[in-house]
Amino acid sequence: MNFFLEVVAGGLLAGVMYALVALGFVLIYKASGVFNFAQGSMVFFAALTFVSLTERGWNFWLALAVTLGVMIVLGMLIERIVLRPLINQPPITLLMATIGLTFVLEGLSQLAFGSQPHGLELGIPDVPIEWLSEKWNINISQFDLFAAFVAGLLVVILAVLFQKTRIGRALRAVADDHQAALAVGIPLQHIWTIVWAVAGCVALVAGMMWGVRNGVQYALTFTALKALPVLILGGFVSIAGAIVGGLIIGASEKLAEVYIGPMVGGGIESWFAYVVALLFLLVRPEGLFGEKHIDRV
Amino acid sequence: MAPDIGTFDTFPKLLLHHARVRPSRPAIREKDLGIWQTHTWHEFAEEVRALACGLAGAGFRRGEHFALVSDNRPRLYAMMYAVQCLGGIPVPLYQDAVATEMAFPIQNAEIRYAFAEDQEQVDKLLEIMPQCPTLKRIVYDDSRGLRHYRQQELLSYEGMLAKGREALARDPAFLESEIAKGHGSDTAAMLFTSGTTATPKGVALTHHALIDRAKVAAELENLGDADVVLAYLPPAWVGQFIFSLAQPLVTGYCICCPEAPDTVMMDMREIGPTYYFAPPRVLEALLTQVSIRMEDASRLKRWLYRRFMAVAHRAGGAILDGRPVSLADRFFYFFGDLFIYGPLRNVLGMSRVRVAYTAGEAIGPDLFKFYRSIGINLKQLYGSTETSVFVCIQLDGQVKSDTAGPPVPGVELKFTPERELLIRSPGLFKEYYKNPQATSEAKDAEGWFHTGDAGYFDPDGHLKIIDRVKDVGKLADGTLFAPKYLENKLKFFPYIKEAVCFGDGRGTVCAFINMDQDAVSNWAEKRNMPYSGYTDLASRDEVYDLVRDCIERVNRDLAAEPEIAGSQITRFLILHKELDADDGELTRTRKVRRRFIGERFDSLVDALYAGKDAVHVEAQVKYEDGRSGTFSADLKIRDAKTFAPAAAKKAA
Amino acid sequence: MSERPAPGEVVLSVEGVSLSFGGVKALQDVSFDVRSREVRAIIGPNGAGKSSMLNVLNGVYHPQKGKIRFKQKEFADMDSHEAAALGIARTFQNIALFKGMTVLDNIMTGRNLKMRCNIFQQALWIGPAKREELEHRRAVEEIIDFLEIQHIRRTPVGRLPYGLQKRVELGRALAAEPELLLLDEPMAGMNLEEKQDMCRFVLDVNDHFGTTLVLIEHDMGVVMDISDRVVVLDYGRKIADGMPEEIKGNQKVIDAYLGVAH
Repeated sequence: MNFFLEVVAGGLLAGVMYALVALGFVLIYKASGVFNFAQGSMVFFAALTFVSLTERGWNFWLALAVTLGVMIVLGMLIERIVLRPLINQPPITLLMATIGLTFVLEGLSQLAFGSQPHGLELGIPDVPIEWLSEKWNINISQFDLFAAFVAGLLVVILAVLFQKTRIGRALRAVADDHQAALAVGIPLQHIWTIVWAVAGCVALVAGMMWGVRNGVQYALTFTALKALPVLILGGFVSIAGAIVGGLIIGASEKLAEVYIGPMVGGGIESWFAYVVALLFLLVRPEGLFGEKHIDRV
Repeated sequence: MAPDIGTFDTFPKLLLHHARVRPSRPAIREKDLGIWQTHTWHEFAEEVRALACGLAGAGFRRGEHFALVSDNRPRLYAMMYAVQCLGGIPVPLYQDAVATEMAFPIQNAEIRYAFAEDQEQVDKLLEIMPQCPTLKRIVYDDSRGLRHYRQQELLSYEGMLAKGREALARDPAFLESEIAKGHGSDTAAMLFTSGTTATPKGVALTHHALIDRAKVAAELENLGDADVVLAYLPPAWVGQFIFSLAQPLVTGYCICCPEAPDTVMMDMREIGPTYYFAPPRVLEALLTQVSIRMEDASRLKRWLYRRFMAVAHRAGGAILDGRPVSLADRFFYFFGDLFIYGPLRNVLGMSRVRVAYTAGEAIGPDLFKFYRSIGINLKQLYGSTETSVFVCIQLDGQVKSDTAGPPVPGVELKFTPERELLIRSPGLFKEYYKNPQATSEAKDAEGWFHTGDAGYFDPDGHLKIIDRVKDVGKLADGTLFAPKYLENKLKFFPYIKEAVCFGDGRGTVCAFINMDQDAVSNWAEKRNMPYSGYTDLASRDEVYDLVRDCIERVNRDLAAEPEIAGSQITRFLILHKELDADDGELTRTRKVRRRFIGERFDSLVDALYAGKDAVHVEAQVKYEDGRSGTFSADLKIRDAKTFAPAAAKKAA
Repeated sequence: MSERPAPGEVVLSVEGVSLSFGGVKALQDVSFDVRSREVRAIIGPNGAGKSSMLNVLNGVYHPQKGKIRFKQKEFADMDSHEAAALGIARTFQNIALFKGMTVLDNIMTGRNLKMRCNIFQQALWIGPAKREELEHRRAVEEIIDFLEIQHIRRTPVGRLPYGLQKRVELGRALAAEPELLLLDEPMAGMNLEEKQDMCRFVLDVNDHFGTTLVLIEHDMGVVMDISDRVVVLDYGRKIADGMPEEIKGNQKVIDAYLGVAH
């Protein structure tokens, strides 16, 4: 039983990490209807910028602030250079544009900071919490818990931003209906800039968390692929969906690895999430928290 | 710490008392611009005082009547109190009445001053000005749309309040002395009875009558200043008048005014009243809403709902009454409460309801039990405008679905040989205004009020009202025959839309049944029963069996009531057509016109009593396109089982 | 807010406006004016150019010829964002509300142009931003009260019946406190009762807020009752302009509606 709990807890906490990446996707998809293929490279870019700055001896907070600034500027640039010229183009064009963006970002970051992997240390050890393992013999990483806390904080901040402020309302309005938003005088470009900047900040947080776990390296861009099943599960437009989807994927893949894995010879973890997503797609294509599309006649 | 109603014997005196003893407690709330605005007792009393001075300045005199047409608003109530401060008599009118209906009370009481909530009500009052020459001032609250009105009769509430404030500051003693002049025996309010048959009658109620009854009932239910009431029914109705004026004054509780008629449900959820009143039709509408939502819910939720409602039906009422319940049921009820009943109460806005009343018309036992089973302490009461409401109230733990409970302290009840209920109570009305003849007919020399209702006490001493006296008859053997009571019992079954019972002066009781087409056709579809139309369906043996089952269940109930056990229904038929107001068989308010139907279908009645198995009918029918034709069919007549009074007790 | 012109003064004038799309002439040399606080209707059969006219006034289309003057300021190629900032608001024939958002939020978006605090103040939900939000909320609540839609305040717009959605859209336009409100077929697709309600609200808006109204309508009957002056368009040309009674008797108008060939 303890083992089971440990697996579930570990899975849930890993799920939080997926959710962090998925959040970035959701933000941009909600506001502009674009599946931002470049989210993974933004995560990589953010983490690499941050780690390079700290390695140059910058103070942690200064590096964080500067990287945040960089991500915000990046968001603005993307809106100005990539999205604005493509306004009113079909979604597939925008998707292609973000794929292009992926390569640009990857190239750019490696050009700027080199291609060797970096270790990242935030001062929180990735070791089991002692009293938990002593008392109940459950191993839960201190860092995982920290990551979960950070994710939770991020969600609260985003929720307040979206539900309680004018920007949030404008953003929801844009997400709902571009044309109507323009008509009431909501500046679309402005909103997109903000969303991309916020997505950049979320990417930084995700990049830092993943960086500590796996090191800051090119493989980080593939975390984006892990977010895909999460999004399918949770729906592309729901922040809550991203979190719950992440938790379900994290827990189920860990459980599958431990309990089903041995039967089929292991290695299940890397693809099980997609199976779950696929099954889910058959049952509820709009995702757990997605909006059911109802056509009014 | 209830106020001493000997000293504080009028509404204004009590209001000022509360402003002194609980100045910062909420007296009245209103949702305005999306936010609940609170007026404390102190603030509210100050507004009333200033308003009273403004009203006096506008020429209002002691003893005058003052008409008010408004939804529940703090300003409406402030106005009523202000009128009473000056020894005037507020006359609240139904806000949804058409203009012509407002003319009579205003002419009758020679009303000079009126309060109108908004443009709509102002328009109505202006419309009847020519018929009501006495009316000379209309104070309005909401000025929207009134900017271009130039009538000199119009006066804004704000304007009156501002002038009143100045006057009050100049001479505070004036108002003190005006309030002190009031006595408990003065008329506190005049409420017009709707009067379905004749012209409306103005029921004059004294301060003492209202305050005394309000206090007795409040003590019975342990109401205090922590209680909260949602004022959502018309203020012209005596119940709302009591709940939002008299009872707050004896307890100090807070009343809340909804934002708009359409928001009552939401406002109720936000406020969470602890003390609640709803006529059966409102309770019915709420239940319908719940049922509709459940039909849209997921399969799992529906299953859970059905399961747990069954538990509630079995054990809920008993748990509420503190009667013994099996441990298993208690266990399930606990979980049901957690997952179903609690959330349901929350949706209904009844999470905090401690005492809920229903009255006004007969309530279906299933409807009544539904609310009790989910843990809402719904009780019935008996009363009327003439009695300041409270005559009988069901006591906690002794609630039955078909009685109105025992008399409240201070009330004496007795029955005439004709079974008419007579009431003597401190809460009785003073008089019908300007109608001494009606007053003396209703209230005899010994002070008994003749209600016109027929009924009896059940074995536990609870009052049971069965019908209006004029409709109650006797079977040939002298057994009490209350057709409406039987018909109502039948109509509580979903399959029966209307019923008409015959038996006055005859040996037994027979009934015409009108099936409910929707419910019965639904039922038939579920059984894959083909039928070609209403008449065909109504003549099916299966439907006859269905209806007979309903009738026999009524008979079983009747057998348990010694007074009317003899009036069980022996024979019935299902009518070939729906009773219709257009054919004169129903009144416009959908009440059956028993005598008319009896004469129109006399051959059917004769066949019922002649013991035949079937009867041939031929009728002229008018189709909807205006053509008419004849219709003929054979209607079946069936017997229903009756139960011996003693045996039924055991069976039940 | 800038000083409002006195009632009756000309606030908007359209002079010789022509608009064409490719070869199609949508508007040809149309001139008329709108006086402060009046209800001005533009009517005409289908395809007469009513919507084009409204879109010109709103800055969506830019006419090839002609001048438009709003409050003595001339604008030739103003876009709709600027028009909104100048105090021109509009509703749409096909309701352009945010279907997934609540009525309250929808109307709040109408106040977007009136909000001043920047994103950082908002993100932190600090003093000025909070105060500002509350002020706007109050203004919006007054509109909700005015339009009698308290009961649906928290309902997502997509779930409301058509007539109510129209009312919400009117509310959102009002939230911008416009000086000139353009209504694009406000009664289209409504049943009689809804039309009556809408008429009442349109007149109330005019009366209560002193808003100048320009509305286009296909249905002549409704418009005649509520407008002060009427412009009639047919095939992109103005064929009549005057009081409703004059319009009703105008032979050209009758012909246009009956479809008499030119």
